[in-house]
Amino acid sequence: MTQESAGVPSTNPAAATPSPRGVKVAEFAKRYGIILAFLLLCIALSLASPYFLSVNNLLNVLRQTSINGILAIGMTFVILTRGIDLSVGAVMACAAMVAASFAAGSEASPVYVPIMMGLLVGLGLGMVNGLFVARFAIPPFVMTLGMLSMARGLTYIYNDGMPISNLSPAFSFIGQGVLFGIPMPVILFLSIFLVCWGVLKLTTYGRYVYAVGGNPKAAKTSGIRTRLVLFSVYAISGLMAGLVGLMVAARTSAALPQAGVAYELDAIAAVVIGGTSLAGGVGTIVGTVFGALIIGVMNNGLDLLGVSSFYQQLIKGAIIVLAVMLDRSRLGRD
Amino acid sequence: MKTANVLGGALLAASLTMTSVAALAEPIKVSAAVYGLRAEFMQLWSNALKDHPAVKNGTVNITIFDGRYDAMVQDSQFDTTITQQFDAMLLVPIDSNACAAGVARAVAAGIPVVGSNARCNTDQLAAFVGSDDVKGGEMVANAVLSKIGYKGNVVILEGPIGQSGQIDRAQGITNVLAKHPDVKVLEMRTANWSRSEALSLMENWLAAHRGKIDGIIGQNDEMALGAIEAVKQAGLDVNDFAIAGIDGVTDALQAVKANEMESVLQDARAQAQGALDVAIRQVKGESYRPQSTIWKQYADKMAWDDGMKKEYNVPWTPVTQSNVDELLSGRK
Repeated sequence: MTQESAGVPSTNPAAATPSPRGVKVAEFAKRYGIILAFLLLCIALSLASPYFLSVNNLLNVLRQTSINGILAIGMTFVILTRGIDLSVGAVMACAAMVAASFAAGSEASPVYVPIMMGLLVGLGLGMVNGLFVARFAIPPFVMTLGMLSMARGLTYIYNDGMPISNLSPAFSFIGQGVLFGIPMPVILFLSIFLVCWGVLKLTTYGRYVYAVGGNPKAAKTSGIRTRLVLFSVYAISGLMAGLVGLMVAARTSAALPQAGVAYELDAIAAVVIGGTSLAGGVGTIVGTVFGALIIGVMNNGLDLLGVSSFYQQLIKGAIIVLAVMLDRSRLGRD
Repeated sequence: MKTANVLGGALLAASLTMTSVAALAEPIKVSAAVYGLRAEFMQLWSNALKDHPAVKNGTVNITIFDGRYDAMVQDSQFDTTITQQFDAMLLVPIDSNACAAGVARAVAAGIPVVGSNARCNTDQLAAFVGSDDVKGGEMVANAVLSKIGYKGNVVILEGPIGQSGQIDRAQGITNVLAKHPDVKVLEMRTANWSRSEALSLMENWLAAHRGKIDGIIGQNDEMALGAIEAVKQAGLDVNDFAIAGIDGVTDALQAVKANEMESVLQDARAQAQGALDVAIRQVKGESYRPQSTIWKQYADKMAWDDGMKKEYNVPWTPVTQSNVDELLSGRK
């Protein structure tokens, strides 16, 4: 491609001087492809099920998506730096257990205590991931796979494998409450989305994350403290897992040691469907959010249509592969 | 655009509500939220549900939601049930505590919820149709202990710690063990209802307690079957061990027939069809008569009582050489 454009007239006029309209369509598809796919899915589902477009159902979808959505937003930071965080489901369960132990029964602490504890556990475990990946150069896959098992183990150890229930109403509000007609989890999801979108898009730190993922060597020579950036993305992912832990425990008024199994896979799927490259440096929070929405809408829609969950898994897998294939062909055009 | 969609949806939903009120002959819509469809027992339960006379003749429409062993997934299925305005809901909860919030939402939306198989810690269930796991635990322990003459060493394979089935069956087993001080428990660990986990656990125990284990108590059949596999692979004779499990899954019936273990049948059919009859009674009112054959089958032990009892206790049936062939023929 570069050789062609460097002087020799191309044999393919469309490639050398593409019509403005062609550029526009390609550009549009690249930018908004995921949103289009999402809208198409919604239209198809609203034709297939009369319940899909009801306000209540749409709020349900958003609330259900908020769990995976927030995990996927944290995961986006990690994947942008060419990393992966396999531990989010287990970290989430651990944070939920610890938080619940401060929110349960008659001697429940004031609500900020369990909230702080849950967030701290998430942040702390994420920082351990970050430390070993950034400082000791343990491959992210290995480190977070190890953390998956360690955090799950800690979760079982913490309360001897027993669930914790009867959480205080103030704590449960995080998952069950409604503010201005909008469920709390949705409010949290929106807030996290706005903050993280702003951080990646508008701040120097955001540019560093893209730089470290796009070309680590160049990032280092240009004076970016790459290790610190790497460390930080795992801390962010852990913090998000901690927050989700609070939401999940609050939603059901119970923390279960076996909660969140395989949640990392849905989070990774949302990021990948959203167009973030596993090779790092390319991707957006908006894409991830729509990736999560596509998964959420699909789960909801297939439930509404009464499709067996066995087929749901098949369809979800196919969508992941299709999304990446589209992504590849897009990159090929570039 | 979004607002327009939402408005359109609301109108559509409203008009649908009216049409469904107008047409009374429409089938009753019942959702069944089960903890997961990967295990055979829940498959038996679901198949029995679809086999209910009211489902077969079209008076009732069943939608089964797979909870995929995740309390959050099940929680969202309560909302799906509410949005779709189901007339009633059957619930086999994943966790006895995490289910309570969802039940409260469904009941608040006017949808009666009937529990089946596993308990939910709430007083808002219309009824519970299931088997008493404490009793099941007592029966499985007695089966093993009587075979070893109430003397010797046993190991116990437990379900996932903290699940109501595990807690109650362990209670039953402990009740029996407390009465027989000559029986010593060498090991008691979870194999998470899983045959393969029980297999490796049993391999380790056979190595650690070589020649000392007399009895193996499985809190379910799958784990007892895993233990049998471990005994065989270690080159030992299955008949030197007293082995028993609970549930009566197909492989366990085969093993009982082959004289390798004992089992206690948990009647998935009675739990599923019984729960559905109770749910239909909630929707249709007093005039409804139960249609499943299970009420005749258990007439002396589980009375219908107008379908308004809070609890229906489905009896356990020990699987023996005399009834195993009949049970196996029902699985085809």
